[in-house]
Amino acid sequence: MTGYTIEDLQEIDERCRTIAADDLGFDVPDVVYHLVRPEEVYFAAANGLPARYSSARWGAQFDAEYGRYQRGESRIYELIFNTSPVHAYLMEGNSLVAQTLVIAHCLGHGWVFEHNRWLGGVDRAIMPRVLAAAERIADYMGAHGRERVEDFLDACHAVAIHQPQAQLIRPAATPEPEPRRSRYDALFPDEVEADRRDVLAERTALRRRFPREPEQDLLGFIERHARGLDDWQRDIMSIVHAEQGYFLPQLRTKLLNEGAAVLCHQEIVQRLFLPSDRYWEYEALNAGVVAPHQGRVNPYNVGIALMREIMRLATEPDDEERERWSWAGETDPFEQVRTVLRDYDDEGLLREFLTPKVCEECRLYAFEHLPRDPRRIRVSSREADAVRDILIPQHSTFGIPRVEIVDADFRGRGELLLAHRHDGIGLDAEYACGTLAQVASLWGKPCTVETVKGRDADTPTWFTGHPDGRAEEHAACPA
Amino acid sequence: MAVVGDSGLPHDAGRRDALHHRERLRRKITEQLKERIGEEDIVAAGPDKRIRVPVKGTKRWQFILDRGKGGGVGQGDGEPGDVLGPPGDGSEPGEAGTEPGEEIYEVWLDMEEVEELLFSELELPRLRPRAQADAEATRTIYDDIARKGPQLDKKATLRENLLRNAKMGRPGLGGLEKPDLRYLSYRELPKPHHKAVIFLAMDVSGSMDAGRKRIARLFFYWCVQFLRRRYDQTELVFIAHTTEAREVTEHEFFNRMESGGTRVSSAFETVLEIQQDRFPAEDWNIYVLHVSDGDNFAADNRRTIELVRRLASFCSLVGYLEVDPRAGAGRHKLSAHYQKEVADLEGFVFAAAAEDRALWPALKRFFARDRVEEVVR
Repeated sequence: MTGYTIEDLQEIDERCRTIAADDLGFDVPDVVYHLVRPEEVYFAAANGLPARYSSARWGAQFDAEYGRYQRGESRIYELIFNTSPVHAYLMEGNSLVAQTLVIAHCLGHGWVFEHNRWLGGVDRAIMPRVLAAAERIADYMGAHGRERVEDFLDACHAVAIHQPQAQLIRPAATPEPEPRRSRYDALFPDEVEADRRDVLAERTALRRRFPREPEQDLLGFIERHARGLDDWQRDIMSIVHAEQGYFLPQLRTKLLNEGAAVLCHQEIVQRLFLPSDRYWEYEALNAGVVAPHQGRVNPYNVGIALMREIMRLATEPDDEERERWSWAGETDPFEQVRTVLRDYDDEGLLREFLTPKVCEECRLYAFEHLPRDPRRIRVSSREADAVRDILIPQHSTFGIPRVEIVDADFRGRGELLLAHRHDGIGLDAEYACGTLAQVASLWGKPCTVETVKGRDADTPTWFTGHPDGRAEEHAACPA
Repeated sequence: MAVVGDSGLPHDAGRRDALHHRERLRRKITEQLKERIGEEDIVAAGPDKRIRVPVKGTKRWQFILDRGKGGGVGQGDGEPGDVLGPPGDGSEPGEAGTEPGEEIYEVWLDMEEVEELLFSELELPRLRPRAQADAEATRTIYDDIARKGPQLDKKATLRENLLRNAKMGRPGLGGLEKPDLRYLSYRELPKPHHKAVIFLAMDVSGSMDAGRKRIARLFFYWCVQFLRRRYDQTELVFIAHTTEAREVTEHEFFNRMESGGTRVSSAFETVLEIQQDRFPAEDWNIYVLHVSDGDNFAADNRRTIELVRRLASFCSLVGYLEVDPRAGAGRHKLSAHYQKEVADLEGFVFAAAAEDRALWPALKRFFARDRVEEVVR
């Protein structure tokens, strides 16, 4: 250890906790810290949770990320898990100042985990289930061969992320058509009869439709309705489904969560009155964390800018802003931040607080890819509206295209038909084919998705994947 | 609150999963190689050269939007109209990623590795101990963990104990019990150590055009590579035939072509002669592999089938590969006669290869591993 003891860390935690509660109003639940070796930090980072089932999947990510660490290209300072109690990993060998920053940072995450409506809504007692799942999957690997189980896991992971999200607005069910009635019906018996027959046929077709409403839960639907699956396969599907469901709220609150954590570490460390050499070390670390990333969005940078913007609105709004936010200028800044942290996700946070001021401060720009060399980009605008038009939709689906199951008896042969609810941009052909072959291997029959070609929203196209791994594109609906 | 010393979890889990990942990668590479064994850069590589193998099938499939179409948001310098380098990859460790995982795309292998990967799936079938041959030799490989076994895996056992304790809410080690015990599990692989002779007979007649010759030679090239690498005590006998057959050197076998008609029985007669002369069946495992385009002299078919029957009665394997780009071209083909007469003959295997892709399945048919197990059982 580098010049400090576990007791030192304990004391730092207590001091930070007091400041968080007394000065910031962040009453943080207990966090259990583990001082662990870099290798373990990186492995848990690859897993998302500690002690998850063994899989080459995590091994691949660990291999890549840990290699970057060993070459000095990456450094994870902390890792925190949304469990109850909250567990956090501190990396062995970091300086005391770095650990101080991390502990103060984790208190922000801890508060958000406990109070945010999306993050608090998950099963925070998930660890016993994770351990039990790990054991069962190890048994399946023993019984059916590791390679077969790994292949099956890959297929499940290909679509597990497509799960319905908690929404404030739900689409209404498709209403059943009713025959029109009019007082003059008696005058046109033939027309009325024909109309009645049409409506009846329509209604029958609707009732036969399966699923009745488009299904957003891809893996869940397949688990319930696919034929010919063994028990162990269904079990693995439900494990992957449940664990992915646990991670989804973290995707939808990345900016919010990191913003809160950076706010906490900045405000707390300011109040620790570190001696100047340590303070400068802290400042250097902090600057590294929130530095803008060239060419993409650093969630720490934009997150803290959004938090600071809320605090500014709470204390020094201009007249226009006073008009727009009833609380502007009239409330305690930390209280307002807590209110937002409780109820918002990234999409809401960006919609309301990604103001021109924030765009300018974070130096955000919108870009497009060069048509001839998509690896290079051209800055298209620095206007807040242009930035918002891209960033907000990206965060409303956290980058996952919306794909739903619309027919589980496609072509009358029990095939699966999916529909991509596009926003003007179609699915990537190579990845659509690869994914569909995986879905087909789960479903046991060909699976087709309807999407559009590239940016051409008027040209529909279809991809079909087969259980044997083949896949192809059709220019016309294969029905 | 609490700062705990460490995570209480096994320390090597990451490395173990990384090993599983590499093993999986290895298997996928092997799959790729099988498709490519007809390619010149592999065959021509020679023992010292390294070849590049792209690895397909390691991508993490997900539905993603058409790449390069959506645009995005970045941070930093740049005025509208400026062209910048590639955007950052945006992926962060620990995220249940929304970015598709792009993994390793190609690896460099030297020929030794290529052959090791490929040949681990092949075996000389029905290889039996013969007189003078050494006693059955096996090598033992410890490469798995099981609940029963002779040799305790201490690390895995402690891990089980920790997990079990954790599930009952007790952190740390302690109370080692039977369900915790894990053992190293092993497989015994037969160590080929038997005397075997392989007759490689090739049709070099005029009807073997360039395409057929190429496939025939590729097939024998891989046979020889396989046999040399995996079996140190094998004799190879090379036979070339048209209407007549003769024993040739390896160099002649792979390089000379003749013209003339085809009488397959001549090859089998030569095989029989040499066998009776030099390789008594009590002492040797005998294998015969014959490759032809199947255009046999019609009057010779009866005699050929007779000889196949006779050879199959004491050989471990009589194999026939028909190389014909116009697969299934007609009833006059030798394969059609074999199909009719000796399709179910024990110890006789025939296959067709019309293109490079069919080479691996053909090799796999002749040198199938499970045959050995059948005999052992």
